Amino acid sequence: MDVKYINPFISSLNNTLETMLSVSPGRNQPFLKSNNKASGDVSGIIGFASQEVVGSVALTFPEKAALKAYELLMGETLPHINEEVQDMVGELANIVAGGAKEEFNAIGIVYHISIPTVVTGKGHSIGHKGGVPVVVIPFELNGLPFYMEVSMKVKPGLPTVQKLVAENVAG
Amino acid sequence: MKVLVIEDSATTRRIIKKNLAAFNLTDIEEAENGEEALAKLDGIDIVLTDWNMPVMDGLTMVKTIRANPKYKDLPIMMITSQAAKKEVIEALKNGVNGYIVKPFTAATLAEKVKGLLARCNPVSEAE
Repeated sequence: MDVKYINPFISSLNNTLETMLSVSPGRNQPFLKSNNKASGDVSGIIGFASQEVVGSVALTFPEKAALKAYELLMGETLPHINEEVQDMVGELANIVAGGAKEEFNAIGIVYHISIPTVVTGKGHSIGHKGGVPVVVIPFELNGLPFYMEVSMKVKPGLPTVQKLVAENVAG
Repeated sequence: MKVLVIEDSATTRRIIKKNLAAFNLTDIEEAENGEEALAKLDGIDIVLTDWNMPVMDGLTMVKTIRANPKYKDLPIMMITSQAAKKEVIEALKNGVNGYIVKPFTAATLAEKVKGLLARCNPVSEAE
């Protein structure tokens, strides 16, 4: 499977969590998202764009996973998602999107990233850029599920990330 | 030794401050973006700045700082998620003295900041 448009984000997420939280997240099979609802209670979204691509990447955490991530990062236990947790999720999304750049550069894709947007609440929506279906990669943090969503539209001549994942799921 | 930490993420500001305190850098001024930081430069001995921020980004701020002869020798460390080599080069060309790619460890921050202070101002090095 050619996952060259997803792997940079996965590598960056792994590196981010291993460095900042001292954990290696578990990862499950990616799938295509069927609606715009987030699987988590707090989401950090980063848009990116260039002459080659337009898209966005989001990290969405159910409350338990978000609070565990905050505990691992800051050494503090919180009862609920607050502004500090929201800020952490936005910063994690920012670091993941920025950290993937060098790997994308190696395959000829350069992009600039936006300031992170953070959305919270049960059943909130995530507005992805790119106008193409969204790939969801499920992860686990100490057994607690969370998700990375990637939407990327590439210039004509390159297969879309969604097509590559659909082929993998079908195969 | 007074440090100016410029970072829009409160979480990362807390992490940086905690890590700096571990090697006795506790006199810290904070700003959430480049524009706010430009008003806080007097008396600052070293600047640690993010790149990707609202209002004024870190690179624009660095260019503004370096355009002022008063701050031509002010040590500036960029701490950013902008991980591409070409971005590191762009930052260095525009007056940044050191570069840390997020995510970073406490050890990396300490090593890089101490190294920058030693290079730029050996008699005032922390510790």
